[in-house]
Amino acid sequence: MRSISLLLLCLALNAACTRSAPDEAELVIDKAGLLAAEQRNRVALFHGLLLSDYDIDYRVVTAGDAGDVDTFSLAQFEALGTGARSSTGRGLLLVIDPVQDRVRLEVGYALEGTFPDAFIAYVEQRQMVPFFKAGRVADGILATTELIVTRAEAATTNASLESEIWLEGSGGGGASTAARLGAGSDISYTDGEVSAGATPADTLARYFAAMQQRNANPTLEIYTPATRRMLKDWLTTPAQMDSVVKSYRRCHAETARIDPSRRYAVIRYPIAERQCSPWFFEKTDGTWALDLTMMQRAIRFGRDNSWHFERGAAHPYQFAFADWALDSNGYPRAR
Amino acid sequence: MQSEQRIRRMQADGILTTTQAELLRESLDWRGTRDQAETSAAVRHARKPVSRWALGLLGVIVVTGFFLLTSGSGLEPTAPQDVAATLNDPGGIGQMNKSFSGLLAVALFLIAPLLLWMWLHNSLVTKEETVFEAWAQTESNLERRADLIPALVETVSRYLRHEAETLTSVTAQRGDASLAAALDELIAAQQASAEIVGEDGDSIVEDEDELAALYAAQEMVGRRMHSFLAVAESYPELRSSDQFLELQAQLEGTENRINVARMRFNESVASYNAAIRRLPASLVASAGGFERKAYFQADAEAREEPELAFD
Repeated sequence: MRSISLLLLCLALNAACTRSAPDEAELVIDKAGLLAAEQRNRVALFHGLLLSDYDIDYRVVTAGDAGDVDTFSLAQFEALGTGARSSTGRGLLLVIDPVQDRVRLEVGYALEGTFPDAFIAYVEQRQMVPFFKAGRVADGILATTELIVTRAEAATTNASLESEIWLEGSGGGGASTAARLGAGSDISYTDGEVSAGATPADTLARYFAAMQQRNANPTLEIYTPATRRMLKDWLTTPAQMDSVVKSYRRCHAETARIDPSRRYAVIRYPIAERQCSPWFFEKTDGTWALDLTMMQRAIRFGRDNSWHFERGAAHPYQFAFADWALDSNGYPRAR
Repeated sequence: MQSEQRIRRMQADGILTTTQAELLRESLDWRGTRDQAETSAAVRHARKPVSRWALGLLGVIVVTGFFLLTSGSGLEPTAPQDVAATLNDPGGIGQMNKSFSGLLAVALFLIAPLLLWMWLHNSLVTKEETVFEAWAQTESNLERRADLIPALVETVSRYLRHEAETLTSVTAQRGDASLAAALDELIAAQQASAEIVGEDGDSIVEDEDELAALYAAQEMVGRRMHSFLAVAESYPELRSSDQFLELQAQLEGTENRINVARMRFNESVASYNAAIRRLPASLVASAGGFERKAYFQADAEAREEPELAFD
């Protein structure tokens, strides 16, 4: 699932994650002590990639009792010279204040067109805060970075004039919201069972419908028993569910491929649609259930959200890709 | 255009009366109520003749002084040159050096002050332009917030109407009635802002009372817009909707931008006002017609008793 792509990327690049990220001290200033050293490194590493890939200088500051978070963020934005590392002055600053329990993502002038206030409020409330409520600050920061990457990627295809000119500083763009750090998860699931379909395509359609309704219930019948057990410990945010629906809307699914034993099935997309990863299904009690457990084991995502196989990961769905070759990194190629 | 479409739609659906729609339309078009180029130039234009006159006078003095000094050597142009007279005595000062010293004196006493005058004048112009730019930024953010009014009114009103119709909710009907009153107050406050800006244009930055009045009117606009948002507190479904989140984020984002722009405007005014009071720039300022600028803040009385001023 793309929604966890960056976190999976970190696992895939384990060696990279454990080494000290360049300029960590500048990218992450953890005055409030909310992040462990390894987490600071991880955040700095991904924000370093954001700078090299999208020319966005994204800093993080945690500060205890910063007062008015809006005023503090603007002052910090200027004091840290946020945006100076970008060639076009593109700066983002995330401020987390555990005492006031507020969070603000300040957006510099150069990025106001790419990240409007409404988008920032959305990622804060629908993606970041659910992680914060569960006490997972670093994961909340990185999950938000993932949505920022997705939007930045989309913006590169519609590059506007502002991407070419230097715009320094911030005019107060962005949004702030209650951080609700450690408040505990209060996700209430939508009532109503979603049963598995008689065909893989039917099940997938029901899954997309559930995501559209932001139904994060892990016990739905559309999942295999192993998937239900896995999802029980997962945190699925509204933004992640929105993202699944939105991103697959552009994908053109092929007909489901079913293995000779008629136990496993795969719905895949043309190789050219590199950001549309395949779905795995297992037949359970006469219906087809989504096997997200095996997908998590077999599929990884690159920095631009294009998917590839984890080389060496064993799974019973390889039959559906016999006509594809894999390159050294596991990316599929036509034979 | 989008605002106009919303207003028409709300008018057609009976959310706005014809009078409300007309008043709202007028209040949102505050730039259209004045000729911006004319008002913007008015402040600068008022002092140009004064500074030109001062610079012209100085120019005449310099040219006259230069002519007098260079023609005042005492030698007849037709007389043979007495070379000996131009030779320096040991330890003495020759005629050529005397002439050079005279030029130096002109430079010191006339050209240097002229250059100083020009430098001070230009630095004041720069500071004043910074004030105008900061005000334009503030005004554009005020306008940006005003543009949110139709969307806010439509979203909340339609939701309440839907609730009242489908659920015959007493709360919704009561909310609808109080919203209608809040709408009138919101339109009145926005209209008051539009009138102030329309009458004064950019020259408002030199009128402390008008700027304080605009500040008060804008505070009222903010309060009334928030009273619309507050309606959502009673309706969890509305409050948790993405449409409402977007509206709230836009409003809060614009308000933060207004605060930032206001802070920067007041900083630029403070810097400019201090500059025109300091010597010797104050002489240039008074001769050049540089007027003191007002701060964009509540007037003194309102700052002491904000509750009385706005509630």
